[in-house]
Amino acid sequence: MRRILLRSKSWRASLPTPFFPFLFALLLPCATAAQTPLRVAAAADLEPVLPPILAQFEQQTGVHVDATYQASAMLTTQIENGAPFDLFLSADMGFPQRLIDAHVADAPDSSTPVPYAYGTLVLWARKDSHLPPPSLALLSNPDLKRLAIANPDRAPYGRAAVAALTSLKLYDTLKPRIVTAENIAQAAQFVDSGNADAGLISLTSAFTPRLSSSGSYFVVPRDLYPPIEQGAVIVSKSTQRDAAHKFLEFLLSPAVQAQLAKSGLTPVR
Amino acid sequence: MDWQAFFLTLRLATVTTAILLAVAIPLSAWLVLGRARQSAATGWLAAVEALATLPLVLPPTVLGFFLLVLLGPRTAFGRGIAALLGHPLAFSFDGLVVGSVIYSLPFAVQPLVAGFAAVPSPLLDAARILGASPARMTASLLVPLARRSFLTAGVLAFLHTVGEFGVVLMLGGDIPGSTRTFSILLYNQVENFDYRAAERTSAILLCLSVLALALIYFRAQGPRAQQPKTQEPGARGRA
Repeated sequence: MRRILLRSKSWRASLPTPFFPFLFALLLPCATAAQTPLRVAAAADLEPVLPPILAQFEQQTGVHVDATYQASAMLTTQIENGAPFDLFLSADMGFPQRLIDAHVADAPDSSTPVPYAYGTLVLWARKDSHLPPPSLALLSNPDLKRLAIANPDRAPYGRAAVAALTSLKLYDTLKPRIVTAENIAQAAQFVDSGNADAGLISLTSAFTPRLSSSGSYFVVPRDLYPPIEQGAVIVSKSTQRDAAHKFLEFLLSPAVQAQLAKSGLTPVR
Repeated sequence: MDWQAFFLTLRLATVTTAILLAVAIPLSAWLVLGRARQSAATGWLAAVEALATLPLVLPPTVLGFFLLVLLGPRTAFGRGIAALLGHPLAFSFDGLVVGSVIYSLPFAVQPLVAGFAAVPSPLLDAARILGASPARMTASLLVPLARRSFLTAGVLAFLHTVGEFGVVLMLGGDIPGSTRTFSILLYNQVENFDYRAAERTSAILLCLSVLALALIYFRAQGPRAQQPKTQEPGARGRA
């Protein structure tokens, strides 16, 4: 016992003097953050869109929002298994519906998710590509060796991509040339790094400064794929239901909806 | 059951392990012999050893992303390789081999360095005084005396490649028969809420890994028991 005490003393003596104030400063924010933040699980296509909206919401209401961006399917699994989110903004209606059916999440005054926007599918390619700029004709160009799409089994934009290619009767010809990415962000990465010739991604990604400077896009005609309706649900065991409601209302307000339109989503109202 | 993915993974792991042993033996021998001689190149040795250990530090997806960019047509290196092979490396089996070799390099080099370093230095000194070249010392001393670490290096490199996920996810593009490995298949099944299939896939993966490991370690037990008897006269005869 004595030896342990002695040793602990020498241990303390060996630390630089500012260590304890430093440790205190490090731990201080944990103690003073009286208001718990609203935790939002958001689909990957919202990553370029949401941050300014979150900042505005915090300015207006004083509620801080922490957002996590992932593929909708991944977030669904996490919420099903008790991830501590308050609100889920999916890139489709199916995944949040799944959570409602499992009694893990609910929507205000409804048994279906609250639609908050529509996604837009675009064909994107680098400007320095050796192929002609993106258009429907590019998809039937035999020199298109690699086309990147998001995983159609779980990414709503991947599903839309396959639907569009099927409507164009090109899916079977292109199938051996398709490379599947985890989500649209990775599909964009495959094209931006030059490894794929073109990719079917979201307009929100094509609008990001990085991709809009390196490439150009073509909006896939909307009659070629079922609408990418994006829905939101509130996680049932959330302790922040009021804040979650407030954020949902804010997201559906005309000003924010107009802002969504500017960043590549189609407003619902 | 997707046996195609299963055999693809075995093929990837076998090719990777073969390449890794071929690369790691001279590399580890160079590191150990250089260290023993305390030559002027110690700075180089430290740098090379650090580089060979680096894949342990980098998150696999980051490593995969760097490789995707490096092997892509936007770098001179990537264009050179594409011209050499006739096709770009990303989204191909060859690309996965390159990724796996880099990713599993520390798992082949570390056991070999440890094994070579355990060879008694008087033996190496004697060999050097008698004028043996580093290649001769490697072939006649390091390799036979450290042969048990080959097993460890091979098994670790093989299994690490079988379980490889992040690099394949970034570099592969999920193409059946060419880049959809067992771990990607398993991930797809989990992500698609197909838990039944995922349980089956992981059960097969676990059973076969345990079986393979048990077999290898069982076989490794035999020679070890006899080693003290056979090694002594052998070492004396050689000296």
